[in-house]
Amino acid sequence: MSLLEIDNLSVDYRVGSGSLRAVDHVSLRVEPGEAVGIVGESGCGKTSLGLSIPMLLPGNAEISSGSITLADHELVGMSEDQLNQLRWSAVAFVFQGAMNALNPVQRVDRQILEAITAHEAKADKHEATERVLQLLDLVGISPARAKSFPHEFSGGMRQRAMIAMALACRPSLLIADEPTTALDVISQAQILALLSSLRRSEDLSVLMISHDLSAIKRVCDRIIVMYAGVIVESGRTEEVLGRRGEPAQAAHPYTQALIGAHPDLHGERVLAQGLPGHPPDLSKPIAGCRFADRCPYAMPVCREVVPPTLAISAGHIAACHLLSKGAS
Amino acid sequence: MSVRYLAKKLTTLVVTLYVTVSFNFLLFHVLPGSPIQLLARSGHYDPAARAQLVKLFGLNHSLFTQYFIYLKNMLHGDLGFSYVFRKPVTTVLGGAIGNTLLLVGTATLVTILVGVWLGVMAASRAHSLTDASITVTSLGLWSMPDFFTGMILIFICGVWTHILPISGLVTPGLVTGPWGHFVDVARHLVLPALTLTFVNAAEFSLISRNTLVDVMVEDYMLTARAKGLRRRTIVWRHALRNAMLPIVTATALYVGMILGGAIQVETVFSWPGMGLLIYNSVVQRDYPVLEGCFLLFAIAVIATNFISDLLYQVLDPRVRRT
Amino acid sequence: MSNLDDTAGELRDPEFDDVASRPHRGIWKSLWHDPMGRSGLIMLGFVLVVIMIGPLIFPFDAQSFGTSAASILQAPSRAHWMGTTELGQDVFRQFLVGGRISLYVGLSATLIAIVLGAGLGLISGYYAGWRDTVLMRITDFFLVLPTLPLIIVLAALFGQSILVTSLVIGLTSWPQTARIIRSQVLSLRERPLVQRVRSLGAGDLRIMRKHILPNVAPLIFANLALVLSGAVLAQAALAFLGLGDPVQVSWGTTLHNAFNSGAMSQGAWWYVMTPGVGIVVMVLAFSLVGHSLDRVLNPLLRGEQ
Repeated sequence: MSLLEIDNLSVDYRVGSGSLRAVDHVSLRVEPGEAVGIVGESGCGKTSLGLSIPMLLPGNAEISSGSITLADHELVGMSEDQLNQLRWSAVAFVFQGAMNALNPVQRVDRQILEAITAHEAKADKHEATERVLQLLDLVGISPARAKSFPHEFSGGMRQRAMIAMALACRPSLLIADEPTTALDVISQAQILALLSSLRRSEDLSVLMISHDLSAIKRVCDRIIVMYAGVIVESGRTEEVLGRRGEPAQAAHPYTQALIGAHPDLHGERVLAQGLPGHPPDLSKPIAGCRFADRCPYAMPVCREVVPPTLAISAGHIAACHLLSKGAS
Repeated sequence: MSVRYLAKKLTTLVVTLYVTVSFNFLLFHVLPGSPIQLLARSGHYDPAARAQLVKLFGLNHSLFTQYFIYLKNMLHGDLGFSYVFRKPVTTVLGGAIGNTLLLVGTATLVTILVGVWLGVMAASRAHSLTDASITVTSLGLWSMPDFFTGMILIFICGVWTHILPISGLVTPGLVTGPWGHFVDVARHLVLPALTLTFVNAAEFSLISRNTLVDVMVEDYMLTARAKGLRRRTIVWRHALRNAMLPIVTATALYVGMILGGAIQVETVFSWPGMGLLIYNSVVQRDYPVLEGCFLLFAIAVIATNFISDLLYQVLDPRVRRT
Repeated sequence: MSNLDDTAGELRDPEFDDVASRPHRGIWKSLWHDPMGRSGLIMLGFVLVVIMIGPLIFPFDAQSFGTSAASILQAPSRAHWMGTTELGQDVFRQFLVGGRISLYVGLSATLIAIVLGAGLGLISGYYAGWRDTVLMRITDFFLVLPTLPLIIVLAALFGQSILVTSLVIGLTSWPQTARIIRSQVLSLRERPLVQRVRSLGAGDLRIMRKHILPNVAPLIFANLALVLSGAVLAQAALAFLGLGDPVQVSWGTTLHNAFNSGAMSQGAWWYVMTPGVGIVVMVLAFSLVGHSLDRVLNPLLRGEQ
């Protein structure tokens, strides 16, 4: 039984008088203890996908189809009260931009304590306070700094505090949305190492959303590549991205372009230069493959028929017409 | 709060006060048509009083010397002599300040409470019907001159129903104990305070709403939701606490407006405060009293801004320094 | 990129152009599509028609007084739609004429305030440096001074003609505008296009006229509506306190007369409500348009979609 099962999920945004489908019939699974990474350019729907799991989509977005099952609870259509019980205790979030994800006028320990008391009404005040200090210690923040305000922390420390807060209610799933963006290289490495070790010590499943392939490579067992609201490829990280001594076996031209455009550490800038053009306008219907306009191998069929999702090897799938012909 | 910040703010305060006092001198003593200049030249003024005036303001000296005499008088708390009351202006003001403080204080307190509450209601249901009706009602109330609102209340509560007194601070000739006096003043306070609250609470709810709507889209609000906190906790603990900062600044700026409203409201309800004093001194051309009232109002607003600057330091940990 | 004039037009900065090239017709259109803006415009149109055409159909003779005790403080009737005053004058006809004075003073005061405020804001924001510091110190000083008391003092000192009233309100209502325009200009001058045009040697006046002013014009316009509503309110308060022009009767003056003649204790609600509602509707119309413009323009100015 998977911990998280997303089936045929679609997310629509109302924009002006029309609507825009940010996530289009996406299905995915996260097993207990597994770390899954979602990669794609900004605007590919990965953040909307993440936010939709605990039903935190903004007011102008709605889930138009599909289901989300977390530990046997169907989340779509659940009441706000029930959702509030599951939020943070079953699924916790580490947000992008640690700068502003913590309340600037509340002390860090209060913010963590607040999460505990919100979910454990009977929690003993002393024990809860003790746990806050343990959590901070776990992520490498000295208890002496617990009473700091967020602005008194460095970016890396804020992100650690955010992770400590995410662990406060012992969630089974941790969603990390761009956890290393806007951090310096050393802090990035530390946060990634922390996530890797915590997922084992705390028995966590992790869904990591990032545009940074190397970050996903370091933490995740499996990678899902999204483009313009759909999954174009997914498979074991080692297989898709390659491993020391073994070449990457990415099957989709988009994934290949991502890897090619991504020789070093980080940055969307590199990616944009490597891939000319822009993702398609999602408020208009698209015929055929969404990547066709930017694809160096595009064929006439690509602009007419939606490519089928094909299995390449066990657990490795991709949606591309090149694969159905057996040529690449 | 650092000593340096405090020193800087205190310096600004002193400079602003000095400029205000000098501006006052310019208005009332120097500009052609200003009362002192007119009086000094006017022939039909009581010679004794005129001589006293010439002496008091040093009118036979140069403007420069007059300015220093004026500053000296200010430092000694001497604001001149009222033509009408035949008393020092400070004495006249002293009798009115308390009443204005009572009225403006009550109204400001209610304004902040009601305004912020309405703002929260509107913002937490942003773009809903509740939001729209609070916004439109606020705009409507804001568009009413304070004195007109007061007149409507006089019709409703005084002329037609007689449920509340519409004039003065106390019922004339009423002899009661301290408690009876308190109740009497409180009853007289209701309508003027309500009038002042209507207009300002409207403005305040709009400010609170817009500030809150801006805060609502901040990242930490999403964090608060993701933590599974209840809606009320999210709005009051996380949103309002952050929105308080701009609201505090706005409050200080609106003290000037509330005082402007107080002039109208005190006039309408014959509330014996500084506003009524301003009205009467305008009607009776009692310029020294007008000058004193204006100076005091300006100082009150400057002082409030100073306090709000300090309060901001206390409220915002990001600028706070220990 | 042959000569400077061409260059200024050719350098395309999408973020910048978004505001610059947007036709002002677009603003009117979005104003009309905003419920707040539309009701404001409709109310404004109504007020303008009433006070511009009304007096032509129902002229008011200031010299005609009631001749008998029975004609004083009459309740609304067929002969006097909105009743009569304590002098037996027709409230409705006085109302029609009074609106013109209220609007006239409001408009001229606003014109003064906007020219002053926008001018100082432009200079302050564009030149920055010491000019900015000096001007903003002055602005802050006037921003802090309690406006209505200051207006009252000035009016008491300098007389009670509508000219003085307009001047006094205009000269005290500019600081907010100066602040708003300044901050917008400050951000505009940092935009790449302006920087580039400047580095190519375009003059200050030219940059201001071609690149800054068109971009702050909508903001000035939104501010104008809000300053107008404030100016009409200030004029009403001044007139109510007996500092209005005694000859040119405005709505505020009518309310002053109603209050001081004891008409209220006689229950003459029509005498109070008629000019009062006039003020409220006029002020509300301006502030609805102002707020709506602000809402329409703000995302535009912030570069959001």
